[in-house]
Amino acid sequence: MYDYIIIGAGIVGTNIARKLSQYNVSVLVLEKENDAANHQTTANSAIIHSGHDPKENTLKAKFCVEGNTLYEQMEKELQIPLLKTGAFVVAHNHDEELMLKDLYERAIRNGVTQIEFLNKEQASSLEPNLADSITQVLSLPSTKVTYPWEVAFACLENAIENGADFKKNSEVTSIKKNQDVFEIEINNNEIILAKSVISAAGIFSDQVAYLLEKNVPYQIFPRKGEYFVLDRKVKGLINHVLYPLPTKVGKGVLIIPQVHGNILLGPTSTLQDEKELASNTKVGLDQIKRDVKAIAKNIPFNLVIRTFAGIRASSSFEDFYIQESKEYTNFFHVAGIDSPGLTAAPAIAEYLVDHILNHQLIKKENYNPLRTKKPTFYNLDFEKQQELLKENPRYGNLVCKCEKITEAEIIDAINGPLGNDTIKGIKKRARAGSGLCQGGYCEEMILKIIARETNQSLDQINYYGLNTPILAKETKVKL
Amino acid sequence: MIKDLVIIGGGAAGLAAALSANDPKIDILVIERERELGGILNQCIHNGFGLHVFKEELTGPEYSARYMDEFMNLNIEFLLNTTVVDVKKNDDFELTVSSFDQGLFKIQSKAVILSTGCYERTRGSITLPGERPKGIMPAGSAQRYLNIDGYLVGKSVFILGSGDIGLIMARRMTLEGAKVLGVAEIMPYSNGLTRNIVQCLHDYDIPLYLSHTVTDIKGKDRLEQITIQEVDQNFNPIENTQKVFDVDTLLLSVGLIPDISLFDSLEFIKDPMTKSAIVNQYYETNVQGLFVCGNALHVHDLVDYVSIESEKAGKSAQNYILNLNSKTKSNNVHEIKYNEKIRYVVPQLIDFQSINAPIDFSFRVTKKMEKAIFTVIQNNQVIYTKKAKHLAPAEMEKITVKPEMLIDQSQISILLEEVLT
Amino acid sequence: MRDMICIACPIGCHLHIDDNLKVTGNLCKKGEKYAIEEMTHPTRILTTTVKTNNKDTPRLSIKSRNPLPKELLFHALQILDSIIIKNNVKIGDIIVKDILNTGIDMVATKNVAMKSLTKE
Repeated sequence: MYDYIIIGAGIVGTNIARKLSQYNVSVLVLEKENDAANHQTTANSAIIHSGHDPKENTLKAKFCVEGNTLYEQMEKELQIPLLKTGAFVVAHNHDEELMLKDLYERAIRNGVTQIEFLNKEQASSLEPNLADSITQVLSLPSTKVTYPWEVAFACLENAIENGADFKKNSEVTSIKKNQDVFEIEINNNEIILAKSVISAAGIFSDQVAYLLEKNVPYQIFPRKGEYFVLDRKVKGLINHVLYPLPTKVGKGVLIIPQVHGNILLGPTSTLQDEKELASNTKVGLDQIKRDVKAIAKNIPFNLVIRTFAGIRASSSFEDFYIQESKEYTNFFHVAGIDSPGLTAAPAIAEYLVDHILNHQLIKKENYNPLRTKKPTFYNLDFEKQQELLKENPRYGNLVCKCEKITEAEIIDAINGPLGNDTIKGIKKRARAGSGLCQGGYCEEMILKIIARETNQSLDQINYYGLNTPILAKETKVKL
Repeated sequence: MIKDLVIIGGGAAGLAAALSANDPKIDILVIERERELGGILNQCIHNGFGLHVFKEELTGPEYSARYMDEFMNLNIEFLLNTTVVDVKKNDDFELTVSSFDQGLFKIQSKAVILSTGCYERTRGSITLPGERPKGIMPAGSAQRYLNIDGYLVGKSVFILGSGDIGLIMARRMTLEGAKVLGVAEIMPYSNGLTRNIVQCLHDYDIPLYLSHTVTDIKGKDRLEQITIQEVDQNFNPIENTQKVFDVDTLLLSVGLIPDISLFDSLEFIKDPMTKSAIVNQYYETNVQGLFVCGNALHVHDLVDYVSIESEKAGKSAQNYILNLNSKTKSNNVHEIKYNEKIRYVVPQLIDFQSINAPIDFSFRVTKKMEKAIFTVIQNNQVIYTKKAKHLAPAEMEKITVKPEMLIDQSQISILLEEVLT
Repeated sequence: MRDMICIACPIGCHLHIDDNLKVTGNLCKKGEKYAIEEMTHPTRILTTTVKTNNKDTPRLSIKSRNPLPKELLFHALQILDSIIIKNNVKIGDIIVKDILNTGIDMVATKNVAMKSLTKE
């Protein structure tokens, strides 16, 4: 029996796992997909917001500002990438400048300390490709950008290193409480017992809660956001995260420099019924093309390498819902974590464990907060590369030529406690296939490496989920 | 390692360039990233190559073998499973090169020929809407999995793009047991050879939907269904023309792009029409000693023309190296002008400093023309005219300007006009 | 009767051939010949691959030396499915002699050495 079962290995679930792994408790993270970090965690703007936007006196505001600071500590401990871009919120006219002033005041009340106004000239000298129609910007130097799924992986790796367990391909299909013990059924099959359950199930939070509760105190409204991804050749074109003024439906279509040099354009914001239909639409993508013109000029749409969409877990509660169940003790909701969820995640974990659980937790003596990241070969200098090559000649075999990823890094991504044997899993960990040709060249090589390392045949290697083989059928084989 | 000439890419272009650059005084190295020479021809197991160069119809591997056999006989040095990772230039070129066998090392070279071929346009770059399941891939990737590795990527297939690669794969997948439900082409005409329309589509009753494109893709993990729609003259989808297909595979044959990112740091001047370097009649870029040929220079439809062009580039590189000490910078270089019926011309520049051989201009037209006339003009005088028939954007054409046609060293214009009967 | 596009030259005349094998729409004799052949005895060069037992080069590309009767293509492919190449092959080597009694050989189009070239 586990002390804690966490449902969902997204950015929130993995942060909670890491926090709990500091204590003398047993933790199991359950994830229904074939990898950690899916859905919202892999389809967002990657921004660590300053905290100018959330409504005052909400958990969103509080945890956004706290999380922003906590990321700097995570950068040191977990070696996650953290690009200190700063941000501009832009105004085009007097009315918008008044709105900027409101935002400024809200930011101050939320606890944002680094904030100032810049006029057109100052802003343009720092950001030469700002749209000409912009008259004033609100500068938020504490805004940063990270690589969201790597943060989730790092948290989960660290949690596992400190004793936590992780089970993927494990969909929770029923939750019963029998006296003081929860019986969690996964895949209509196996039952696992736990003293406490923490649901960090993202878009499925209400569905999961209904497995146990009669009246779930919130409803999740799926809200889709579409994006463009520009090739990392555009690095340097835009240096800050650029926001328009926020509206009722959200922060608007942004321009977001990414840690590896790419630029994201988006997201849109459309309510829908389906929880998992993350499709791109002509209407959505056209909207992004129009909206970004008001923020920046010279955006090279010929360097679009990809589009994607994510579904936000917006909730009827309108703030983060982080509370113990009113029907069953020791069942905890961490729900409605849409923006600024990525930023808030470490602060949410602290709050949940320190203030909501109300369990007497004893810190582990040998807790190790550090996670060492394996090297990215082509970020090293020539001498360090030669050293690594002596140990492992597979660094010499370049696999993804667009992003410069070697065979050794791909093997690292396959192995390890959070290793993965799917094409998309490798892409999330090693970036192979994320570049200009989108795997057109390297997918075949990666397939062969995975097959060799995991002792499978080529047609057993999946794209992502179980039963998504890239190759349908070997030809000329007698059945 | 120090070389006189490094040729990056050992496919059709690189092999032809190596053969013609070969000279006892020149130390040549061909660098190839695959486990064998031959490039894309290795997976092009179909017929249609060599009609111009060998006056025979050969399959891809057979055509490639003609050059490879001679290459091996000449004992030109080459490296397999080796990738060029970076290129810098001071006086000479410094290439950083990587392989499993030799690790990471540097090569210094007086000249470089870039014959790296091209890569396929992806789903993302044409912003195909819909979900993003597995089962959508470029046609060339599917071709490689099938012809080299021996695997079908799917059992029920739809193909977007009616260029030859799409048509060839329609037939190939069918022959190996898949069901191909159709080919959609956004233009009102097919880009491929008529022979391929007949022998890849008609032969197997595979419908061709002209003026159609894919407007939706359904499937969370695995592709389940695609929707195509008719488009108007502005390529916008027309309402209520949706046709739905239940498929597990969507192959994309939507364009090829020269693979030259490696050289971005050298800042050579590019032609936005070819998406590659601007070159003179020696196939040399504005970066001295850097030559480009084959699909890396502009996307060809016949490998024969790749070989012919690359032979010239190889010869130019050879001359460059042998005359390095006496080379002076030319100040008499002119851009070729052309009118709106021509999409692009390669080479884009003429260096008038020393023209001693005929110059083949390769070009593509912007629309189909049954009958047309070329006029080459210099200094307001017509120096050459040529009639042409059956011009199409999908078929690269040539026009040869001989040195004796030129009246002086001023700019040349090539004009193409349709002859309407 | 049938409609077809001639492939003998780039013009691509739209041909019509009736049940008496009378051809219309052609601009030259080649078109007439093509239409009659397509109607009575259509043939195609078959290019495909066969399996090898070499892990590094699991497929060998082959072709029919001459065009095969079109109606025999899928049967020919079935026969070829059971071939396994075990020895070194040179371009032109006969892989299947006189396939389906057509008098036409299937020949290799690639030089392949069965010895493994890679170290893994």
